[in-house]
Order: sequence, then C-alpha cells, then structure tokens
Amino acid sequence: MGKKKKVILPPELPQEVADDEVEVSDEDVDFVRENLKYAKFLTKLDTNSINRHVTRVADHKEDELEALYEKRNRKAALLKSKEEDERYVDPVDALPIKTLDGELQYRTAKGSKSGDITNENKSASWIKDSEKDTGVVKLTKAERRLKMKKSRKEAKKLAEEETKVDPAEEKLHSEVLAKVEEDLSAEELFAKKKIRLAEVGMALIENPESNIKSLKELLQICDDDDHNIVKLGLMSLLAVFKDIIPGYRIRLPTEKELEMTVSKAVQQTRSYESTLLHSYKAYLQKLITLDKQPTFHHVAVRCMCSLLDAVPHFNFRESLLANVVKNISSSDDVVRKLCCEAITSLFINEGKHGGQATLEAVRLIAAHVKFHDCQLHPDSIDVFLSLTFDEDLGKSESKEEKVKHKKKRRWQNQEGSNQVQGSDRKKARQELMVKTREEVNADFKAVSFVPGSEERRRMQSETLSAVFEMYFRILKHSMDPSVSRSKVNAVAASGASGSHPLLASCLNGLGKFSHLIDLDFMGDLMGCLKKLAGYSDHFDGSSSESCLSVSERFQCCLVAFRVMRNNLDALNVDLQDFFVQLYNLLLEYRPDRDRGEVLAEALKTMLWEGKQHDVQRAAAFIKRLATFSLSFGSAEAMAALVTIKHLLQKNSKCRNLLENDAGGGSFSGLVVKYQPEAADPNLSGALASVLWELSLLAKHYNPSISSTATSISSMASMDPAQNQVYLSTTSPLQAFKDLSIERELFKPTGKPVSLNRKRMRGKDFVIISPDEVQKVENTIDEEEVKCRLEEHFMVLRDIAENERLRGELNHTLSSIKLYKEYKRQKKQRDTSNT
Amino acid sequence: MAKKLGKKARKFAKKNLQSVLKRRRKIKSMFKRKAASRRVGNEDAAEEYEKVRSEQHVRGNFEDGAISNNQLDNLFVEDDDDLNEDVSDSDGYLSEDPECPYISESENENDSRDKSDHIAFFEQNKEIHLEIAKQKRKLERLLEKDPKFSEFLESRRSDLDQTRSQEIYSDDEGNTSYLDGVAIRGSQISHDDKILTGHTIDVWCWLVMEQPDGPAFANLLNGFRAASRYGINSDDNSSQKIPNRDVFSKILTFVLCEADGIFRRLLGVPDSCIKESILKLKSTSEWKTMRPLMKSYLRSSLFLLNQVTDNQILVFVLSRLRASVIFFTLFPSLVGRLIKILVHLWATGEERLSSSSFFFIQDIASQLSSDCLDTCLTRTYNAFIAHCKFVGPTNLKHLKFLMDSVVEIYSLNIQKSYQKVLLSVQQLASILRQALKTKDKEELKKIHNWQYINCLDLWVKFITCNFRDHDLQQLLFLIIQVIRGIAHLFPGPRYVPLRFKCVHMLNHLSLSSRVFIPVASLVFDCLEYRGNSHSDTTQRMQVDFSSLLKVPKQFLKSRDFHAGCVLSAVELLVAHFIQWSYHISFPELATIPLILLKRFHEKTNVESLRRLVKRLIDQVEQNIAFIQKKREEVSFSPNDQASVECFLQLEKTGPPAPFTQYYSSILQNSRF
Repeated sequence: MGKKKKVILPPELPQEVADDEVEVSDEDVDFVRENLKYAKFLTKLDTNSINRHVTRVADHKEDELEALYEKRNRKAALLKSKEEDERYVDPVDALPIKTLDGELQYRTAKGSKSGDITNENKSASWIKDSEKDTGVVKLTKAERRLKMKKSRKEAKKLAEEETKVDPAEEKLHSEVLAKVEEDLSAEELFAKKKIRLAEVGMALIENPESNIKSLKELLQICDDDDHNIVKLGLMSLLAVFKDIIPGYRIRLPTEKELEMTVSKAVQQTRSYESTLLHSYKAYLQKLITLDKQPTFHHVAVRCMCSLLDAVPHFNFRESLLANVVKNISSSDDVVRKLCCEAITSLFINEGKHGGQATLEAVRLIAAHVKFHDCQLHPDSIDVFLSLTFDEDLGKSESKEEKVKHKKKRRWQNQEGSNQVQGSDRKKARQELMVKTREEVNADFKAVSFVPGSEERRRMQSETLSAVFEMYFRILKHSMDPSVSRSKVNAVAASGASGSHPLLASCLNGLGKFSHLIDLDFMGDLMGCLKKLAGYSDHFDGSSSESCLSVSERFQCCLVAFRVMRNNLDALNVDLQDFFVQLYNLLLEYRPDRDRGEVLAEALKTMLWEGKQHDVQRAAAFIKRLATFSLSFGSAEAMAALVTIKHLLQKNSKCRNLLENDAGGGSFSGLVVKYQPEAADPNLSGALASVLWELSLLAKHYNPSISSTATSISSMASMDPAQNQVYLSTTSPLQAFKDLSIERELFKPTGKPVSLNRKRMRGKDFVIISPDEVQKVENTIDEEEVKCRLEEHFMVLRDIAENERLRGELNHTLSSIKLYKEYKRQKKQRDTSNT
Repeated sequence: MAKKLGKKARKFAKKNLQSVLKRRRKIKSMFKRKAASRRVGNEDAAEEYEKVRSEQHVRGNFEDGAISNNQLDNLFVEDDDDLNEDVSDSDGYLSEDPECPYISESENENDSRDKSDHIAFFEQNKEIHLEIAKQKRKLERLLEKDPKFSEFLESRRSDLDQTRSQEIYSDDEGNTSYLDGVAIRGSQISHDDKILTGHTIDVWCWLVMEQPDGPAFANLLNGFRAASRYGINSDDNSSQKIPNRDVFSKILTFVLCEADGIFRRLLGVPDSCIKESILKLKSTSEWKTMRPLMKSYLRSSLFLLNQVTDNQILVFVLSRLRASVIFFTLFPSLVGRLIKILVHLWATGEERLSSSSFFFIQDIASQLSSDCLDTCLTRTYNAFIAHCKFVGPTNLKHLKFLMDSVVEIYSLNIQKSYQKVLLSVQQLASILRQALKTKDKEELKKIHNWQYINCLDLWVKFITCNFRDHDLQQLLFLIIQVIRGIAHLFPGPRYVPLRFKCVHMLNHLSLSSRVFIPVASLVFDCLEYRGNSHSDTTQRMQVDFSSLLKVPKQFLKSRDFHAGCVLSAVELLVAHFIQWSYHISFPELATIPLILLKRFHEKTNVESLRRLVKRLIDQVEQNIAFIQKKREEVSFSPNDQASVECFLQLEKTGPPAPFTQYYSSILQNSRF
C-alpha cells in the first residue's frame, strides 16, 4: 500500500505527509490484503488529473472536465472511506443509540454521498460567489436554493437526524473520521476537507438555527495547516456569515435575564444568538491575526471588507472598521482599493447602519492621518468625497415630527375626551395600553437603525467636524515648511506625488463641502489658502523647490473661490490676493507637468463665473490670458480665449483693448503704459494696451482657435451698451477638454480633399541643389574607371580560374574515393565467386 | 512552334542538363528518373553559387529567367535573317555580319602584369594547382595498379558528375559537354571561338564611328555583352572570348561612352526629347533593326550594374546609362529591374554612388510613364523606411540625403504622391492614438524610435517644400497634431531630445506654411530644469542631441546635459521668434518667454549660459522696442487683418534687422 501511495503522491503538494509518518496499522494492511478488490482503485487512479487538480486548486476555477475527474476520484475515495467506516464502527459497536445501527449509518453515508455530488459543482461557484458583492451573492443564493429544492428534502431529513445525535456520538464520529483521514493521501484529504467545508457551509445556509454549532467546525478547519484550506475556510465562513447574520444587533442577555425562566423557543434563540456571536467574534479575531501574515493578508482584507460592506450594523463593527482603516493607505494597490471601496460603500449606504459607522470611520481615518503625519496615499482621503451631508435633514424632519406629534396629541386628546365618561377600569387599561405602546415605540427605536433626526443631525455635525478637522490638519501640515522638508524622502518612498500627498484631495474635499464650513473657521481657512497659494513667495531663493506644485496652488485659489461663492453673504473677504496669485501662476503653468484641467477650472471659477470684475483687473487678465495663449497649446489657449471672450462681453469698457486709439485712449487708468512684468494685475496698466495678440492668434494652425480669435477681435464693433447679450455657453473647462490632444487626435479626419495646385512648378529641385548633379558628373575620371575596370577583370578571371581548379580537384578526389568502393565491390565479387 | 519548343528544350538541356545528356549518350537508360534528381543537384549548385557570388547577382539571373518569355519572340525576329541561330538563342546576343573582320593575332594573353593584381586568389590558385597535381598522381598510380579500375571509373563517372563538382562546371567537363551538345545538334555552323583581340576592338570602334549603321556595331555590342557577363557562366555560349583586361576595359568604356550617341544618331532622336516622341519611333522602320541592338545594350548594362561592386565603375556606368534613360520607355520590362537596382544602390551605396543613383531615379520618375513614377515612389519610400531605423553620427549625412531625395521624388507629382503621403501620415497618427489610449510600453516604443521620427520628419520636409505651391492644409493640420501629441506623450527631462525634435519640426512647418504654431511652452521646462550644479567635472560627457531620442540616465544629472538643453532651447526659441520678428504682436509673443528667460538668467550660475541667455534677452528686447515704436505709429486695430499683414513688410525686405543677424549667427552653430 505504501508503494502505491508513493506513486500517487505528487511531489509539490503543499502539505505532504511523508510516508514514514503515516502510520499504517497492521489492521489496515491485513484489511487491504483481505480485500484486495477494495484497494484496486488505487492502481487505477489517474495521477495526472490528480496532480493537475491539486496544483490548480489555488485559483478555485475548475473546468468541467477536471470536475469530472475529481468527481470520480472523490467518489472512489468516499466509497473506500465509507467501507472503512463501517468496518471500524461496526465491530466497536459503541453507538449509544440503538436505532442508529449499521444500516442507518450506511444510509447516512449514502445520503451524504449523493448530497456530495450535487454539492460539488456548487461548491466551486459558491466559493467564487463569496468573493463578489453582497447583492450578487444574495441573488445567487436564491438561485441556489431554487436549484437545490430536489435534494433538499432528503438533506433536511438527514440533517435533522444528525442534530438529534448527541455530541458524544458526534465526537466519536469525528474521531473516526480523523482516523480515516490520516489514511487518505494528501490530495484526497484536501478534497475531503473541501467537501466537508461545502457540506457544512451548505447545511448552515440551509438551516442556520439547527446547524449553528457547525460554525465551530468551520472555524476549526481554518486552523488547518494547509494554506489553501485556510483560505477556502475563511471565504466559506464569510459567505455563511453574510448569509446568516441577522438584520439587528445582538444583545446578549444579562445575568438577570438568564435567571428568568423562559420558553423553549426563547431559550433556543438565545443559545443560537450567543453561538453566532461567539463564532463571529472568533472569526474576526482569526481574521485580524491572519491579516498580519503576508500569505493571508489579501484574503483577510478581502473578508473584512466584504463583511464591513455587508453587515456594518452588526456587533464588533468597531474592530472591523479599525482594521480596514488601518489598511486604507496600504502600498498594495489591491488591498488599498478594496478598503477604499468598503469605506465608500459604508458612506454611501448609510441606511444600513444609521450613520453611526460613518462617524466612526471618519474619526478613525482622521486619527490615522494624524498618526501618520499626513504622509498617506491620497486615496485614503478621497473616500470622503463620497460622503453625503443632508442639510435639510434636521429641519424638515423635526417639523414633520412636530406635526405628527401634534396630530397624535389631538387624536389622543380626542380619544381621551371620548373616553372621559368611561369607567376607571377602562381608564386604567387605557393607560396601560398607552404605556405599553410607548414602551414598544421606545424599544423599536432602540432596535431599529433609523435614529431620530436629532440624533442624525448630531452625528452628521460630528462627522463634519471630524472631516474638517482633518482637512485643516492637512492644510496646516502643508504650511509647515520644516516638516515637509524632512519628510520629502519618506514620501518619495510611499509613492505619492509631491511632498504633500494629501493636499490635492484635501483641497478637493474642501471644495466639495465648502458650503458646510462653519463660519468661524472661514477666516482661518482663507488665511491658510492665501498662504498656500502664494507659498513660493516665501522662499524666494528656491521657488522650484517650493513645496507646492502649480496645480496645487491653482487648487488653493479655486477652493478659496468655491468657499466664498457658497457663503456669499456671510463674509466679506477681499479675494484680491487670490487674483494676484492666479495672475502670476499663469506664468508658472507648464503643460504636461501641471494638470490643465485645474487651470481651466480655476479660470472658470474665478473669472468666467465670477460677477462683475474691476475694470483694471479684468483688463489685466484679458491681456495676460491673451499673451498666455500665444505660448501654450491649443487646449490651454482655447480655455483662455473663452475666458477672454466672456470677460470682454461682460465688461464693455475692456473692449477698448480691441481698438488702437492713438494716444492711449480715453480710459487709460492710473498706469499710462502697460507693464507686462508687473506682478499685480491692478498695476499692470493693461487698459493702455492693445490686444495685438489676436492678430497673431488668427493665424493659429488650429482653425477653431483662429476663428475664436477673429470673433473676439470683431467684438470691437459691438455696441458698448449691448451688454451680456451673447453670453457664450462653453466654459473654459469644456473648451479645454474639447481641444485636448487626446480628443483632437481622435476626431475623424475629413475626407481627403482634391488637391488644388496653386502654382505650377518647374522641374527644379526642391531641396537638393542642382550643383550636386554637376558635382557627381564631374567626379568621373575615365582613367580611373579604366584602371578599376581592369582590376575588376582580373578579379573575375581569377575567380573563374579558382572555380575551375576547385572543380578539377574535386573531380580527382572523388575518383580516388571511388577506388575504395571499387575495391569493396571487387572483394564482394571475389567472395561470391568463391 | 514545334521548332521553337524544340529549340527551347535543347537550350535548356544544354544549359542545365549537360551531364544527363552525356549519360544518355553513354548509358542510354534511366534518363527521366535521373533528370529529376539532377534538378536537385542543380539547386544545390545554385546555393553554392550564391556563396561565391553576391545575392543580387542571383536575383538578376532569376529575372533573366522570368522575362525570358518576352525575349523569345524577339529572338524569332532575329532568327529570320540570322545565319547562326544557335548562338542567338542566348538572350541579347546579336547576329554578326561575316563581313566584319575578326583579326587574329597572337597576343600575349596573360602578360606578367596581370598576375600580380590579386595575390590572394593567385596564391590560392597556385595551391590548388599543386594539390591537383598530387591527387592526379595518386589516381594514376591507382589506375596503373589496377587497370580494371579505369573501366569502373568510366562507368561511374556519370554518377559522380551528379553528386560532385556540379557547383562549378569544371572546365573539361563543360567543354566536352558543350562540344557534345554541338555535335548532337548536328553542327550547322562550325564556329571557332572568336577571340576578341585588342586590335579587333580598335578596328571595330573605328568602323562604328565611321559607319554607325554598319555590322560592326552589332559585333561590338556582342563583345560588350560578353564583357558584362565575363566570369559568370563559363559555359556561356557566346562565342566571343575576352582575352585580357585591356580589351575588357576598352570594350566597356567605348560602348558605354558612345552607344547613346550612336543610337540617337541612328534613330534621329535629338538630345532632349520627351517620351511621346520616343514612342512614335516604334512605328518607324529603323526601329525594327535597332530594337535588338538597343535591347542588348540596355540589358548588358543592367547586368553590369548587378555584377560590379566597385563604386567608381558603378558611378561611371550609371552616368552613361542615364543619358539613355528615355530609351527605357520602349522596354517597360527593363525599367522595373532598373529601378530595383537603382533603389538598392541609392539606399546602400556610398555618397557619390548614392547621389548618382538618385539622379537616375529622379530622371526615370520624371521622364518615364506614371507607372514608373508609382514604382519609384513606393520603392524609395520602402527603402528609406528600411534604412532609417538607426541614427548615429556616421549615417546622419546619408540619412539626410536619403530623406531629401525621397522628398524630391515625392515632390515631382504632388497629385500622385499626395494620397500616399496622407496615408502614411494617417498611419503615424493611428499609431499615436493607440499609444495615447493604452500608454502601453510596447505602444510607446513604436513611437519612441527613429523609424517613426524619421518618417515624420520626412513628411514634415515634404510639406515644408511643397506648402507654398499646393494646398496641403489638411495634411499640415494632421501632422501638427501628431507632433504635438508626441511632445505631450513624452514629458520629463529624459525625453528632452525627442521634444526638441518635435519643436524643430513645428518651427519648420510654421516657417513654410506661415501659420502660427505656439511652441514656446514646449521649451520652457528646459529653462527651469536644473541639473546638479555640483556635478563632478571629471566626468565630462558630450551629449549629442542629434543622434539621441532619450537621454541615458547617467547624463540626466550632468552639467553638460543641462547646458545642452539650454543651448538648444535658446536656439529653438530664436527660430520661433524670427518667424514673427516683424509681426505686430511680437512684443506679446515674447513676453512670457522673456520673463522666464530673465528669471533663468538671475538664477543660473553657469557663466557661459548666462552670457548666452543675456544675449538673447537683449536681442529680443531690442526687437520689442523696435516693433513697439513702429506700432505706435499705426492707427489700425487688431481686427484689421489686412493692415496687420502689411505691417513692416517694407522693412522685412530691406536690410536685415539686428534680430535677423543674431538669428543667422545662432544658426551657424546650430545643433539641428
């Protein structure tokens, strides 16, 4: 038997049991000897398919063909084990319950076998399903149930029978099983374990109440030495928990409650809940420990994320959240993405947990950011963008409630007035009724996850303050030069861009939630942004090493404007500084390095959407943008031109720029001459300039730009009184995107037009000068050619001679060779003659 | 027809199946089966042959076979009035008039001078000679020892022939078979090997010059043919033998120099004429007699082009043959071959050869039919694409020449070439699209290589050369987008050379098309990028941008690289500015670059760069002041495009402004 095993065992099996270690009892050997037929299948085993199967298990995908092989093997293995079961169980006859004689045992085995076969195909899909989203799992679960209806009846019956069997018997049973398992070769063991997993899992999903104890078995399987089994076990448990966890939070009974005598049903429920809770706890603990092991890191994170996504309302959410947040800025892309998705779904589906989890998550992330000193991957902050804050939530609902309350009161009053003449007993009953109703309501409130609006508002404001606290922390951190300097190296390792990886997403978030910022913070925030936007000015000597990229500085201006716009009436802060920054930042912008979208958006927010601008400033920006578009690509130029057009339309006085009035025009402002290098738009004296750029832009290679430029320059003839008539609809951002290189290249090229020849061209050379011809002709030296020809002749002749000689040589040599053959033939002739 | 076929078969047999013929005579059995195996042997022989000769050579031979069909009917024409039809079988061989004298003269065939030329072969030959003598002696001894062996040897000889010594038709074998072949044919004409002596040639030349339509010309052309094929087929059935090198060179030079003139005189064709008038010749009576002569001449010349490897000779042949280019109109089958040979020589030959081949191609493309132009367009483009994969300091000049010549040929007939160019540019664009979409490393590599860039450069040149005369607006727009896309796709200091190339191309396009293409932003980052200023000066590496697309990593930090970047950036900026140096909005155009340049000037600590940038700043400011001064005098507004166009046009044609002078000084030590 040992020999045979050797053949079967694939060498690369992860958990190989050496032959020596396998204890083959004498009984076994005898048994095999006696029943040679039983062992016969071992010789027939298809080692190839087994190997393939074993090595492929890791990726859970079994083809049909392989499944077929497997099935066959498993069946065979099962048969054998069953026979052995019988063999060993019967003689011992230790079964305490008489009815469970050999025959019944046999039937059980048979049943499990048949269930097995049906399960096999499903187990694969089931495991795969468990990796998917909850919604999908639920759907497939339903399908699975439908499909299983046939086998269900029998299985149920059997399961019930099984549950009746008391623990002692089960223990024995498992002991026997363990013994048998030892005898099986490793891959059979693996298959068997898998089958067991599937069986238990299916049973649990089918009937959680009665099979809840099997959770422990599943947990035990997860302690296996085989990594693959552990992974499978974890995934199976995930699927089971996702399915059986109830829609409420389990509160374990207090001691006092335990003392009370309760009905059997309640008792059962209590034990069920406590088992579930304990197993869940154990599972989570396992996940948390496994999370630290690199081999199981992915699986553990995946399980935790799916759990957080599926059952955020359930007990132990805190530890789950803590662990997910811990991994949120992992350097591993897959892990990070999983965690971010889990958190995002937590934020989006607040209904599942009533907002409590959101607050916790935000707090945890904020703490995480604080702990890591703002050196995290931006993804971890980007999740906040999916937060939703319902502004009207508090007010409207409280009103509604009030109304409801009033109505109720009225109704109660009415009722009361109606019942006034009723008897005392009736009154007492009424009171009791009211009391119980209130009690029930309170209980319902406590249990259900729709907290009161007050509560929700409180949570929301807490969440908000946590978010903003974190944002401000990041801003403050970015402003601290000493920190950023020292951390540059650490950041480079983390793979994030720039020395402030979180700043960009922080600014994004601020932009998004700008309307929710507390007015008290506003002043500080603006100060911060102002400082950040003009950051490079503080480090005159090393502006290129300044810690903020141009995009980030654009964003600062952008956020400031968003904030201000959303709180228009509340504050009166001078935004002049930000205009100055934008004016100068236009010079810093580099295509392909900085994000053009941010530039376009800044133009849109600050200039295009803004209200009336100061004439000086508007003119300065018009001039600067026109100059800007002379140096940059089409997309940027287009964004600038759209802005110019808009500004010109809104500011009729600026249209003076389009006309060349001798003597500087009537409206030349403070500065008489245009200063292109001035840093302050108000002091540039742009009103004194003329937009000559447009004449050059009209020659732009891109037809849309040249036409826009022409249309702008024709605005000069527009009636000054004619304000804001043709407001263009394309925003700078849109214009930028339309003309970006990616978009441009994908535009279909027009049909090739037939070529119009503008002028006839003679036979002149286009590039090469005609002298070349002369040069070539002149260099021919007849004498030289003659010599070369003669040389050539000699070479040819020698080659010919050489060939001829070689031929002759070969011929002679072959003749000599033939002599040998001749001699041999002669010998043959001689021998044949004799 | 039967006769023809029979003759063809005979010719084939004589050429290829000598041993079979011989064996048939001797054993008279198993002919057919052996013939098949003989074929195999022949193929082996061909392989061997290739090793000895160049590949090209074989191709030439193949083509001989391919168009032999064409020649057959020609031969028929000749056969009618031909005395020795056997020899005329061979392509291009002309009938000879017996009147024309062969002057026999005991000439010292191998004068001592001859031998000293190629020592290597000479020595080898000598060795082989000795070896042969040794082996022969051995064989003789064996024969003496065993007289019966000679019989056996005789019986096996034919087999031996099959397996051995076929690759080279050994002399005595060839001779015997040849003679045998003659014998079988029944020797219509006994003809002695006509040895061409120097004297004979002299007389013929004299006769031809005196009397062009005389028989000597045909003889001379036969001699020319023999000379062009000298050393290739020793079994060649042309009866003329070239005894020594004087004769060889004399015959070749004379025919090449004079043939064109003689043909023109005979046919009455003026030196310059167009292909229509040549085509008219076909109906004339002279043409009938001249046709075989001319064909023989052209064919032999082509053959010579394939054979010869020496540049001098090739250039000579090309220049002579080019005079007769118009005659190729009459032989369309030869033109294809000619173009093939020429394109090969053009793409691979050295400078002079390459240019003379190009001029020939250009003549063909412009003077012959439009089909020829098509072939030239495709072939030159393909050859260029195949040869521009690598750029180094060594082949830079050659590549430039190739590019210029392709542009030249494509500019001959824009109507025809436009579609091809558009197709090619669209192909470039689609490759770029793919790369932009996927950002895949492999896709990026397709763009980031010399083939792509050179192809782009080629069409940029094409557009710059022809934009003035043709409406290439669509092509221009597409190619600008492609170039900008490339610059966008490869950011970062490592790709600075590639981006500079893009800017350079854009400048060119802008200059020729007079559209405005903003390029300043593409060079700004070079003015900001600052290499490690403390880099070790010991490790000075010369960075040559012209043969680089991507900077090696070790260069990135070097000071030289930084300096090179700034130099190139300045150059490109000046080239950009010069186009608009007289434009009314020059001050605005220069505003932002000027601000950045000033900033750079403040910050840099490399003195040479400071000086360079300072000079640029001064020049630009000077020009700005100039334009501003002029601008204040005008009264029109920016929307008056016509007046804007006229602005400073007068000054432009006048003496060069300081900025123009500055530009030409920059241009002198240009890196592009």
